[in-house]
Amino acid sequence: MFPHGRFASAFAAAALAAAGAALTSGIAVAQTPVAATATQAGEDRQGLWLTTPFPELTAEAGSEITMTLRLANVGLPPQRVSFDVSGLPQGWSWEIDGGGQAVGAAIAGPDETVELTLEVTPPADADVGQYDFTVTGEADGQSLRLPIALRLTEAEPARLTLEPTLPALRGSVRSTFDFQVAITNEGRDDTVVNLLAQAPAGFEVTFKQRYGSQELTSLPVAAGKTENITVSVSPAENTPAGQYPVLIRAASESATGDAQLLMDVTGRPTLSLSGPEGRLSGEAVAGEQRSFTFTLANTGTAAARSVSMSASPPSGWTVTFEPDEIDELQPGQRVEVSVGITPSDKAIAGDYVVPVRANGDGVSDNASFRVTVTTSTVWGIVGLGVIAAAVVVLAVAVTRYGRR
Amino acid sequence: MRRRREGSPFTGLAAVALKEAADHMTSARIHLVMLLVLLTALGAVYATIGEIKQTFSEDQFLFLRVFTMAQDPLPSFVGFLGFLLPLVAIALGFDAINGEYNRRTLSRVLSQPIYRDALLTGKYLGGLIVIAICLVTLWLLVTGLGILLLGLPPSAEEIVRGLAFLLASFVYAGVWLAVALLFSIVFRAPATAALAALTVWLLFAIFWSMLAPLIAGAIVTVDPLNPTTAVAHAEWQTAISRISPNMLYGEMTLALLSPETRTLGLVFASQLHQALLGAPLPVSESLSLIWPQLAGMVAALVVLFTIAYVTFQRQEIRA
Repeated sequence: MFPHGRFASAFAAAALAAAGAALTSGIAVAQTPVAATATQAGEDRQGLWLTTPFPELTAEAGSEITMTLRLANVGLPPQRVSFDVSGLPQGWSWEIDGGGQAVGAAIAGPDETVELTLEVTPPADADVGQYDFTVTGEADGQSLRLPIALRLTEAEPARLTLEPTLPALRGSVRSTFDFQVAITNEGRDDTVVNLLAQAPAGFEVTFKQRYGSQELTSLPVAAGKTENITVSVSPAENTPAGQYPVLIRAASESATGDAQLLMDVTGRPTLSLSGPEGRLSGEAVAGEQRSFTFTLANTGTAAARSVSMSASPPSGWTVTFEPDEIDELQPGQRVEVSVGITPSDKAIAGDYVVPVRANGDGVSDNASFRVTVTTSTVWGIVGLGVIAAAVVVLAVAVTRYGRR
Repeated sequence: MRRRREGSPFTGLAAVALKEAADHMTSARIHLVMLLVLLTALGAVYATIGEIKQTFSEDQFLFLRVFTMAQDPLPSFVGFLGFLLPLVAIALGFDAINGEYNRRTLSRVLSQPIYRDALLTGKYLGGLIVIAICLVTLWLLVTGLGILLLGLPPSAEEIVRGLAFLLASFVYAGVWLAVALLFSIVFRAPATAALAALTVWLLFAIFWSMLAPLIAGAIVTVDPLNPTTAVAHAEWQTAISRISPNMLYGEMTLALLSPETRTLGLVFASQLHQALLGAPLPVSESLSLIWPQLAGMVAALVVLFTIAYVTFQRQEIRA
């Protein structure tokens, strides 16, 4: 087991020395020459080292600094090394941990590397700046020095970022706009963020977990992690067509993050046809034209174009419109349409239904207008005439034969 | 040469009319006829109300149904009135003049300062007063019975329609009274006059509806290949059947008491295109619908009275 391990580490050392080319060739070459090379390399690199991968580092003020130390013994008998740190300012404390415990010294066996951790704790009020200190190791007749340059910087603030996948969406007033937003906690602490939204009045904003149905008001985000949420925005019912910004904000105790979302609301015309004074009934005399004032309104959010009026009257009736075509009706605009209805002169007294229709581009409304037909009073006068004729006959009879 | 006469022809009119009415009100004949009308009418209404209470849930014109609904085996109230009102009128008028003549009281009355004008008009008005009292009583009884048994008051429109119906019934009875009066002048014997009046009554009440299609068929031959002949036939039939006062009265009651009636007579399908069937007509329209019928009846009444008047004035009455 041991020769094999020895060979392995020697081979690793050779690989380090020969770099990429040596590595590829090392696989190809025979075993004996490799062993010879290893022995030679080992002789060259014999010694005891105290190293760290990052001898110059930057850390935030107010936090503990941790760095890795390596004590490497190559080709020597086991070496005991006791550690010390010098050059730290007053108030700073340090500790070297090995195997999970604080240690004062370590022994590195032959061709062994001991991993150690140096923890340096600056005082809470440590100034920003450059600090140089040295880790020293006292071995038997040998002093190891490892200078370290530490740069303390301002504590970096906790940070939240909101990243919408698609920041601008387009839809109609009736649609729901779903924005996918990633919340990333770039701070070093886990946090709970409150979710806020600032939208135009009447817009309804809900936060949901992606693929979840529960509405959220806050959610926890671990340090360095990203949470995906869905922001659903429903525009107000009468929203005119246009672009509307929605500001969403994630706020934790120490940080806030914003994202701007843009909704492009497309409009839709809605026609509303109503009868005279809101009623859908009227009276007309058989055979005589009667004019009713209808009101055509666009209650939608976009202009209605080329609206034409039509009716399907009973047979023998005529219905005219003034105007019978409206080129454009803006949202909220009303137009009075004069509807002239002429019942058939053969229409009988009573109620008839006249459906009136307004038809625009992709939009329409209809109203069933109820016309109470009254008949002409001409026959009433004829009836009176008949009675009068009879009375005249009676009067003639009285004058001719009366008072006998 | 005619000599010029003095004074109003209507002197003593009120006295004759009121006396005539009082005589009628106390006569056993009128009591019997009234009792017949009253009992049949009340029976019909009572049965109808029972039927209404069981079957109708909601109706805008529930009260008018009391008049128009028929409950087997009894006909409806208006059906009874259409049949029996002529009988009442004939009973009141068939011996108006010839009765006086046969009792030899006519010359005695006319020896008073009363013209024949006033006598005849007074006789007629006296009969009308009795008919009016009879009809109003009946109408109030039926309405009261309706309120009592149905437990709800008639609406204003129902009252207006009811009153119009009352007027139509009054005119209808007036026509028959004029017929009876005419026969009482024409025929010296009251029995002949009564039989003649009853014959006319039976002709119009029962047989006229059978005769009308026959007469119309004689005027227009219906060609199955020519629909206009069918239309002409139907129009002729309607026109001929409208000679009958019973037919006119039936149409008036139909239009007045069934507000959903929109027209009387022939209707083409094109006229009903997109019409809302079953929607009630406003009162004014129902009234204008029956106006030709009503006007025709009033005119007939006046003409009949004029014939009776002329006949009476030219008659030799001394006996």
